[in-house]
Amino acid sequence: MAVPVSQAWTVATYVLKQKLAGRKRYPLVLMLEPLFRCNLACAGCGKIQYPAHILKTDLSPEECFKAAEECGTPMVSIPGGEPLLHPQMPEIVAGLVARKKYVYMCTNALLLKEKLHLFKPSKYLSFSVHLDGEKEHHDFSVCREGGHDIAMEGIRTAVAAGFRVTTNTTLFDGADPNSVRRHFDQLMAAGVESMMVSPGYTYDKAPDQNHFLGKAKSRRLFRAILSNRKKSWEFNTHPLFAEFLMGKRNFECTPWGMPTFSIFGWQKPCYLLQDGYADSFKELMETTEWSNYGAKSGNPQCANCMVHSGHEASAVDYNFGTLKGFIETAKAYMFPSTYPDQEAEKLLNEWKPAHAMPLVQIQGATKDQLQPVSGD
Amino acid sequence: MATEQQEHLKIEQLRQQSADEIETIAGREKENLEGWIPTLASDAEIREALEKAFDYRGDVTITRKDGSKIEGYLFDRRSGTSLSDSFVRVIPSNERTKVNVSYSDIAALAFTGRDNAAGKTFEAWVKKYWEKKAAGEKNIQIEPEKLD
Repeated sequence: MAVPVSQAWTVATYVLKQKLAGRKRYPLVLMLEPLFRCNLACAGCGKIQYPAHILKTDLSPEECFKAAEECGTPMVSIPGGEPLLHPQMPEIVAGLVARKKYVYMCTNALLLKEKLHLFKPSKYLSFSVHLDGEKEHHDFSVCREGGHDIAMEGIRTAVAAGFRVTTNTTLFDGADPNSVRRHFDQLMAAGVESMMVSPGYTYDKAPDQNHFLGKAKSRRLFRAILSNRKKSWEFNTHPLFAEFLMGKRNFECTPWGMPTFSIFGWQKPCYLLQDGYADSFKELMETTEWSNYGAKSGNPQCANCMVHSGHEASAVDYNFGTLKGFIETAKAYMFPSTYPDQEAEKLLNEWKPAHAMPLVQIQGATKDQLQPVSGD
Repeated sequence: MATEQQEHLKIEQLRQQSADEIETIAGREKENLEGWIPTLASDAEIREALEKAFDYRGDVTITRKDGSKIEGYLFDRRSGTSLSDSFVRVIPSNERTKVNVSYSDIAALAFTGRDNAAGKTFEAWVKKYWEKKAAGEKNIQIEPEKLD
């Protein structure tokens, strides 16, 4: 199983309690951003483009605990910025674990090996390592040569030390599904517990604005990647969310599903869009005009979004909200499909690395120049 | 959030194609706002300029009608029915606090801070990579900004 039984049970009972209490809108995962500072400067990232005085500001452990208690989710994801740059991160993680929160600390793992001794293995703690693909693809995606090797070393060290390690992979235009599938093999061989994959979002603040997947290409890409999957692959995303990515079903967005808290406050409306901030979780839930967001709202900023932060919560809600959803989910977990699909196989075989694969699109770069890095 | 003007590429794309058919979605139009001092002659101009300031990736300087100035990151705006019940929220560059300024108190606005994402496109990175690679450099990267 991609997550411990105790975690699945905790989440299931939490969601059922919300349903029994008749709550129409409830959060599932707190996205806690204790800092925006990062030791990478990825062109596709929309999270770190702030002045130095903002980047130097951290949430205190007390502010983090208050946010976790305010929204009450059973899971807390800690993205950022790079959490391992926060001087009190071990204290924050320990405090959340003491509160029996299932913590996913999202890290690029550049500092994981040297800071690992500051953390204690626990079923409540998982390092969620950001890896966008095989070596060349990841290094170009994060704009740092050698980043992949350091992250993989961090993964192996953490696994050997008994930590739960998962991964998250973000795909942009130009992703090669054959390479992503090899990447999955490499991750599972390194001992990761499970993997997550999601399309990149068109962040307003991202330096790069030209390589975001549209829905048509996202669905084709994910169909090619996730069909005919290997039994050894474990994913920590909801199986119906994976089917959504593959174009097999549709979910509307649940923007309140993964509320985000940072030094600015509670972000309206979701982890991806910045349309203002509330000072409390209650204010966020009560004052956000939720009907303005999600694909069906017609908001152009939501038009291409298929990201987990909005749609995985929809899959979970469907799972517990209807008998059909419950049966479909139970079936997906008890009898996991490899999603055999001949058309997807054909897609894989015929997929040509696209323009955005950096090493083949650069004007002026000769074929000889491309060879040493891309392996083409 | 980006303004309609900034999002016009995506809006135009969505007029011509259903979102389900789009292969690569248009991003935000790159506006060079660094150094901009907008005219604030009308209510509409004030609202438009403050929306852009909210979206900006650097510090701004607000001059109040009493002559006092506040320089910092404009992280939020709350738009009411009139200028007097609308306000921006700023984290000053020299202290960790949140300051509210009513739209009706604003005499001038200037985009004084550096745009922290300008020039960092994927294409710029790849170009830089190949230049450095050709020069024999190793461990090539876009380095995060120095903060001190």
